[in-house]
Amino acid sequence: MNRGLPDLSVERSPLSLVEMIYSTPIREVMTGDPIAVRRSETMRAAQELMREKSISGLPVAEDGRLYGIVSIHDLILTIQSDQLDQPVERHMTDHVVTLEEAMPLSMAIAYFGKYPFGRFPVLDARQRLAGILTVRDINVTLIDRLMRDVTRYESMLESEPLPGLAFTRVFHARRHDFEQGGKASTALKRHLSDHRVRRELIKRVAIAAYELEMNQVVHSIGGTLSFDVSPERVGILAQDRGPGIADMDLAMTEGYTTADDWIKSLGFGAGLGLPNVKRVADEFYLHSELGIGTTVKAVIRLDTGKENGA
Amino acid sequence: MNLSDVKNKLPAENIVAGEDEGMARAIGGVVASDLMSDVLVSAKEDCLLVTSLASEQMIRTADLVGAVGVLVVNGKPLPPSLVSLARSLAMPLLRTRMPKYETCLALAKAGCAEQGEGA
Repeated sequence: MNRGLPDLSVERSPLSLVEMIYSTPIREVMTGDPIAVRRSETMRAAQELMREKSISGLPVAEDGRLYGIVSIHDLILTIQSDQLDQPVERHMTDHVVTLEEAMPLSMAIAYFGKYPFGRFPVLDARQRLAGILTVRDINVTLIDRLMRDVTRYESMLESEPLPGLAFTRVFHARRHDFEQGGKASTALKRHLSDHRVRRELIKRVAIAAYELEMNQVVHSIGGTLSFDVSPERVGILAQDRGPGIADMDLAMTEGYTTADDWIKSLGFGAGLGLPNVKRVADEFYLHSELGIGTTVKAVIRLDTGKENGA
Repeated sequence: MNLSDVKNKLPAENIVAGEDEGMARAIGGVVASDLMSDVLVSAKEDCLLVTSLASEQMIRTADLVGAVGVLVVNGKPLPPSLVSLARSLAMPLLRTRMPKYETCLALAKAGCAEQGEGA
């Protein structure tokens, strides 16, 4: 049952995961209020209950005190020997390995590694049955907490404040990802606005960044967009992994496009992308190789650039 | 002329108000287009973007050019992702049932200036 559980040793796991499994008590992970049978009930009754509730291990308990557990294995043996009408007491596993609810999750993970069981009954401080813990419970909890952590980290990345105008960041663009496309340019624009860069300059930067970003989304198989901002200039470097531009002169011709009708229906593919970038940029560099990819570099000077174009 | 005036005169419904004073910002001109590149090239600061393209990218484009708001024509249905993007970028969003041409005529009649010189 424990096969496939990852190695959660301290040395190899990220800190937040280690912290999580050491600081979370089993109480918060287990399924509380477990279904149980009494010792005098028949194995047939136990079987019915397990089938009905889809459980593979049924605790035998009375008034909170745990006497044993009926596993699928116990059930099979009873069916084979045709003793389903005998009391649970005679067929249950009575040497039960248990966990305590105040123990950390790390202990439970160690138990699943050590014993061949798919579940452990969990006792409270007074040694009464408080819940059942399965590998599934652990997985669900860990995934849920990791999701929350990752979401938190991502939001920290997005809103990371920078003290000055200087700013470097790399964004990834994916083919036809119109949902994410544009986010990089929006982030760059926000940064410049936050640092009170003149609106005309921001607009030129925004045009260049957005056209290059959407070019990658529309035409490339994916790539990166790097921003490098200093008080003197904004550098935008767009590098994609292909397919490359077949005819550079045509690509720089206003109105020429290779976009299909779907792309056009989304408002792109007017054949103005690269010419627009060139028009607003103080420096413009384009290099492309078929099958290799395209690199575009655009620089907008914040000190002494051209003032027209936007 | 501001977005509140547009809302009352066309009429249009206000889907996202933007910031507190978002609906009160003066409209500096109107750009009607469904092409991102055209909008990028021709839009001036504080313009109102009139479009029949109900896509998130239109909101992003409007934000990038510093538009005062986006007016979607033809009563196009607005995907929830578009509305939430407009909210997060504080971009006022309006929608009218009128077609694009009639919308532009109505805006002109209501006193919306065309774009400044050279546009």
